[in-house]
Amino acid sequence: MPICVWVLTIIIGLTTAVSARDIVVAIGGEPDTGFDPVQGWGDYGSPLFQSSLLKLDADLNIVGDLATEWTLSEDKKTWVIRLREDARFSNGTPVTAEDVAFTYNTARDAGGLVDMTVLREARATGPLSVEIELTEPRITFIRRLTTLGIVPQSSYAKDYGRAPVGSGPFQMVEWREGETLIVEPNPYWFGGEVGFDRISFIFGDEDAAVAMARSGEAQLVAVPPSQADDVPDGMYLIEVESVDNRGLMFPMVPATGETTQEGAPIGNDVTSDRAIRVAVNQGLDREALVALALNGHGKPAFGPADDLPWDNPDAHIPGNDIAAAIETLERAGWLDNNGSGLRKKDGIPAQFKIVYPAADSVRQALALGASKQLKALGIDAQPSGRSWDEIPRLMHSNVVVFGWGAHDPSEMFNLYSSNKAGVATFNPGFYANAAVDAAFAKAEAADGFEASLPHWKAAQWDGTTGFGSKGDAAWAWMVNLEHDYFVADCLDIGRVQVHPHGHGFPITSSITDWKWTCE
Amino acid sequence: MTGWLGPLLVERAIRLCWLAPLAAVGLFILVSNAPVDPIEAYVGARTALIGPEQREAIAAAWGLDQPATTRFVLWVRNVASGDFGDSILYNAPVVTVIMDRFPASLLLVSLAWLLSFVIGTGLGIVAAMTPGSRVDRAIRAYAVVLTSSPGFWVAIILISIFAVGLKMLPSCCALPPGTTTAEATFWAQGRHLILPVVALSVTGIAPLVLHTRARMIGFLESPPAQHLTAHGASQRAIAFGAGLRHALGPALTVHLAGAGELFGGSILAETVFAWPGLGQATVRAATGGDAPLLMGIALATLLFVFVGNMLADIAARLVDPRLRWDKSR
Repeated sequence: MPICVWVLTIIIGLTTAVSARDIVVAIGGEPDTGFDPVQGWGDYGSPLFQSSLLKLDADLNIVGDLATEWTLSEDKKTWVIRLREDARFSNGTPVTAEDVAFTYNTARDAGGLVDMTVLREARATGPLSVEIELTEPRITFIRRLTTLGIVPQSSYAKDYGRAPVGSGPFQMVEWREGETLIVEPNPYWFGGEVGFDRISFIFGDEDAAVAMARSGEAQLVAVPPSQADDVPDGMYLIEVESVDNRGLMFPMVPATGETTQEGAPIGNDVTSDRAIRVAVNQGLDREALVALALNGHGKPAFGPADDLPWDNPDAHIPGNDIAAAIETLERAGWLDNNGSGLRKKDGIPAQFKIVYPAADSVRQALALGASKQLKALGIDAQPSGRSWDEIPRLMHSNVVVFGWGAHDPSEMFNLYSSNKAGVATFNPGFYANAAVDAAFAKAEAADGFEASLPHWKAAQWDGTTGFGSKGDAAWAWMVNLEHDYFVADCLDIGRVQVHPHGHGFPITSSITDWKWTCE
Repeated sequence: MTGWLGPLLVERAIRLCWLAPLAAVGLFILVSNAPVDPIEAYVGARTALIGPEQREAIAAAWGLDQPATTRFVLWVRNVASGDFGDSILYNAPVVTVIMDRFPASLLLVSLAWLLSFVIGTGLGIVAAMTPGSRVDRAIRAYAVVLTSSPGFWVAIILISIFAVGLKMLPSCCALPPGTTTAEATFWAQGRHLILPVVALSVTGIAPLVLHTRARMIGFLESPPAQHLTAHGASQRAIAFGAGLRHALGPALTVHLAGAGELFGGSILAETVFAWPGLGQATVRAATGGDAPLLMGIALATLLFVFVGNMLADIAARLVDPRLRWDKSR
């Protein structure tokens, strides 16, 4: 009996009290391949151990990180970059132009999760100056400059991802794979002081993370919308806007019996009619979809990049206007002559399937909700839950609930350019508009990222045409997810960027500004 | 004394020689026909940013541009020379990935195995001493409840009671959050083992309780036990004396043979408790289409279960001398 008491005392006595300068966060994001930028680490959120040439601030403006100057050459194919002098890796060696060139060239050849196929070569032209040459003008390559962390040429090896050395704000103390990452500030970081002596990242499933918030073991936790309303004591809820969006992709061409190389049918006679697509955009009540599918934790979506710098609000039509939708349909000849509640045109009923991945409850709710709402317009949209293996065969001839969202306008190019028609899951609807393609080409060939913004906007709606719902209405975007986190009352995480597709790790984009506000 | 051990080992070695290649072929057919596109799984949320050329580059880096039969022949040739290849998901040698995680899983599984053995046989013997009594019925009811409770569900219940409700025990990880392996004390590590081990041991307890109980009742009703009772020995003395050896042998066999099941259960327990073991890696390898790692883990598991069964046979012969002379097989 005394032994039991003794053991119990020890057990209770050891309930750890985390000191104020150490925090524990549970937001997922563990990279299986390790913390190697060349393999794709650091795309979302803070790369922790490395710094990149440029970075995005809280408003998604591009600012310098390792680079002090960056200019694009006359032919728009070469970035000329000057590095800061005071940058050092966590082992104390300075960051040189050789390291930058090595990182870019290695990433190009690595076959990892960094798409560098447009890079011709990176060259060091001096100790602190680099030239990065592309095979063609591609302004969105600047996105690589904001994400690719620089690795040291002298110590880079195959196991780099498990013992990373970089010039970022942190250095690795220990990584227990599948469980925990422990980091401490890098004393050589050029950005100054970090607010914590140690930050521990706990991996594992969502429920375990929420349990840690409730037991007070973690100070920042990613929480699914279904549990977000029950905030634990001593914490508050932050709801981060995102472009993690969901929408209906329409097949844009009529069904002529044509198929892809794999034999998947292309085209749909109903959705190839612009009036149907515009009516769906006009008729959907997106607020109701947010309430239904996201438990209220989200907001309506009108385009692929709502509220990002390259979004064009003029391209959107507001929606939830059944009268306007019906007028659009009637004017185009979609009539319900026999009072059956189903419109027809030239004998073709306004009927299509909404395919969604059956395992995804949010997309299922969206498909069911949209189907119900479209019934009021006289459109029979039948929800159809399928597996991801079947969807590639169905997506060229059926409406599909897809989700996208990135801090990169080249995503719009992938979704709407005729170049990408039928390529992978890009542009499955075979959308093609010469004016849109031309706007994309102008954007990629712009003098700078700022200068490319009007062209990205023109691709959505230039006053006469565009892929947005006012123009060709190639998609009907429905909702943007909201990413929810429980944060300890004493933790100030500063201003947060609009999140991309992916809940969890993107919250670390402001990690160097995090502060502990209690004693 | 050990004349039976040699032939047994030889027989098992021969069995392993045909079992392992057969399992490898079967596994490879399953893995390469699984409806998982490893590249799509790898790209995941970044799908908008990785173009078709880069996907081809990834496929080439992984050797996926080769036909399945070529890949299998290559794999067999490498394995024959001791190279199990690289995990595509973890970008590290398969042997390293497995060896990094195996100790944590082994610790969890062996402690859970011991715990369920002690609890299972203990309860079984207690229940058998007074069959039909309230204690017996309570124990049997407990066993039935345990059989019908999935391990992960028990894990979540344990977390909500002991971690969230009472805040007595940690809900996650192998060490206190925020401490490195070097800093963690022995007791801190022990605390973190409690909930996962208890949750995992649940799987093994119920069959043991029922099995031990049945064997023990059989013994207690047998002439030798009645003889001892007639000489004034108490029920408890018989059960924990002569009866123990009688019931323990078969129980050990049952329990060692069930080690594979325990290994399967550890996959779920490890996910719930963020335990850095092989279970999590198995799930990731399967959902990510990581063929080399999955093959490596499957072969390691095969070996583990195989050794478990062999130990069961050896243990049974050690505990029960009659089996040693059984030449009928």
